[in-house]
Amino acid sequence: MSEKRFMKGNEAIAEAAVRGGCRFFAGYPITPQNEIPEYLSWRLPEVGGAFVQGESEIASVNMVYGAAAMGTRAMTSSSGPGISLKAEGISYLAAAGLPALIVNISRGGPGLGSIQPAQSDYLQATKALGHGGFHAMVFAPNSAQEAVDIIYDAWEYAERDRNPVMVLMDGCLGNIMEEVELPPMKELNDEDVPYWSLSRRNGRDFQGNITPIYTEAILEGVNIMAGEMYKDWQENDVKVEEFMVDDAEYVIVAYGIASRVSKEAVLTLRSEGFKVGLIRPITLFPFPKKSIRNLDYNRVKGIIDVEMTIPAQMREDIELQVMERCPVYEYGRSGGVLLDDDGVLEAVRDFMTGGTDNA
Amino acid sequence: MKTSFVFSGSGGQGIMSAGITLAHTAIDMGKHATFLPEYGPEQRGGSAKCTVVVDDDPIVSPLPRVCDNLILLNEQAYKKFVWDVKEGGIMLLNANRITLPVEIDGDPVERDDVRIISAPVDDIALELGSPKVANIVLLGILIGATGIVSRDTLAASLEDKFKDKKPGVLDMNMKAIDKGIEIGAQYRV
Amino acid sequence: MPEYKRSNMIADKPSGYCPGCLHSLATRLISDVICELGQEDNSLNVISVGCSALNILYWGGDFLSVAHGRAPAAATGVKRTNPERLVFAYQGDGDLAAIGLAEIMSAANRGENFTVIFANNQTYGMTGGQMAPTTLIGQKTTTTVYGRDPATTGYPLKMCELISQLEAPRFVARYALNTPKGVREARAGIKKAFETQMKGEGFTFVELLTNCPTNWKLSPLDTLEYMNTNTIPYFKPGVYKDVTTKEAE
Repeated sequence: MSEKRFMKGNEAIAEAAVRGGCRFFAGYPITPQNEIPEYLSWRLPEVGGAFVQGESEIASVNMVYGAAAMGTRAMTSSSGPGISLKAEGISYLAAAGLPALIVNISRGGPGLGSIQPAQSDYLQATKALGHGGFHAMVFAPNSAQEAVDIIYDAWEYAERDRNPVMVLMDGCLGNIMEEVELPPMKELNDEDVPYWSLSRRNGRDFQGNITPIYTEAILEGVNIMAGEMYKDWQENDVKVEEFMVDDAEYVIVAYGIASRVSKEAVLTLRSEGFKVGLIRPITLFPFPKKSIRNLDYNRVKGIIDVEMTIPAQMREDIELQVMERCPVYEYGRSGGVLLDDDGVLEAVRDFMTGGTDNA
Repeated sequence: MKTSFVFSGSGGQGIMSAGITLAHTAIDMGKHATFLPEYGPEQRGGSAKCTVVVDDDPIVSPLPRVCDNLILLNEQAYKKFVWDVKEGGIMLLNANRITLPVEIDGDPVERDDVRIISAPVDDIALELGSPKVANIVLLGILIGATGIVSRDTLAASLEDKFKDKKPGVLDMNMKAIDKGIEIGAQYRV
Repeated sequence: MPEYKRSNMIADKPSGYCPGCLHSLATRLISDVICELGQEDNSLNVISVGCSALNILYWGGDFLSVAHGRAPAAATGVKRTNPERLVFAYQGDGDLAAIGLAEIMSAANRGENFTVIFANNQTYGMTGGQMAPTTLIGQKTTTTVYGRDPATTGYPLKMCELISQLEAPRFVARYALNTPKGVREARAGIKKAFETQMKGEGFTFVELLTNCPTNWKLSPLDTLEYMNTNTIPYFKPGVYKDVTTKEAE
């Protein structure tokens, strides 16, 4: 049974995780994501799961590593400073082929930064979540509802690929209260425990082992297979929203909270007769390359990268697809100062009338 | 129609609760709403702000730069957000904490392009029995002045919220709504 | 006299440990106890980093290899989701008492219902004999070439003494593997720790004083004597805490 609720983004994430089969959470307090562990601390025991408040982000992600190795759907959440500490564990998850969900409710950075929302972790999420040259699928929902839908299915991707999945949102989306429709509880039984896991609940009667260390010949093979997997993602798993792009002369590219503010600008500008559209990456990795590469650059006069961080971090990914066929502009607010409707609107108007980049 | 509200005051003045209640009530009426809190790092007494957007259609951006209705509960909030309400919008002030004109950097700053409602909501709440209902008086004023949600839906939502509390609590909240509506109605255009 | 044969839990190939290294003996003791308790299929070895990780090559039961120092954290995730399993972490001194100090102390303090077996040989063996948190005062290593100086490196960490101060742990003991008597006592201690875990009573910790002929630059036999004269006087063997059911009765 699905049901509608007015929920805070963070709590919606937590409930969606439980309904998606999550039965283990370990984490460490950090603003602006505290409602996720707080919610799961009472919710997981209700469904026979376990919650541990770890002594650090490092310990927490390694607890998730242990639970995931047992075939349990496991997750952790944090914000930028804590994700940096989890980098070790995320790399080990990828090395050991363990599925897990990592949620980043991001804030201003670098360093301790600010506790206010910012989209400052794009590069970390998409390029190097840890050492060793690996990737995780990175989803960037732009509403509580989309976060629910993505998290509900996060382990389907993670278990398919035996790889961690990241959901990247900012503190605005984590703390905003919106209506959400919650999906029904997934019922998982002992026979659903993955065959490769160290659990014996699935009837395995032979010795099992999981390791993040290999001999060089095997590791090269592991690396090659990972590379093939990333290519498959690019072919099959890109999620993108294209809004009023077909006849657009200016195209905004924005994800997460920035995409909502940008869409408002598109609607306003369209009502004034300007041909503006929006490309919204829902997966940041794999990045929706084709949506940008295949635009008609005889028509498109400019691409505008709107992000709630300065300097813009997605710009390089965009420019690689634009290939200098039109100017790329960027507009952002940063450090915990929020984007707002008028700011984006003014910036886009400025670019359309020959203004220059604020970068 | 999209209508936005910004509430600001110090932590503990009940503005988050007022914002959530407003958004919740709008949803109970079949509208769409978002509530976005913004906190300082302090657990108590720091500055607090929340933004509520109510719309008949699903909400695209929850981040307006300027709002239609600005509710300010102390001078600090006034100084910070006085320009964040649209021309022709409503600025609702807690007269117990804000005395106009407020000086900012030595100059008196007052808006003459908005409808200002200044009400001693702390005093009114105390007369009703508890300083805690000041935020409900504020909601009542907003309903009286804008009709954004119906009195009865708000009352029903509070009834649900306080169903496990002592009967006096609900009664006090109902009186707070009605007192607020009475004040706000004078400013209805 | 029982027949001496390879344990069922250990693969039939060379261990990878240096000749005379007591890691081999420690692993053997653990595997024997697991077999005696009939836990071959139910046990799960959480393998840490350092020479202890050579277990990956020849441990015959289920195992999970984890990041440096994080075995107690990973074991927490394992045991909380699979409480029926006999879970133990096997950690060396650099792993447990330096990089993993937060993880071991916190898991012990939470009273996690698993066993940590701590092999203390006072050096980082695999990386080439650097100073460990347990390196003795005056002991020469590749990063304390004139001997460990407490003025700049502090003092050897006594983990049993630290952990036994916590409320939650049930059984905390240290054994030296350089004598037959010590080996017999260690075996009994490991068994008691596993039984305590199997009864669901809580955290158990067994420290095993071991050697490192290669990095101590001593013959295997000389390491045993070195332990008598240097290691054991500082790291005193004994039961530091025992609040298991049997003792309470």
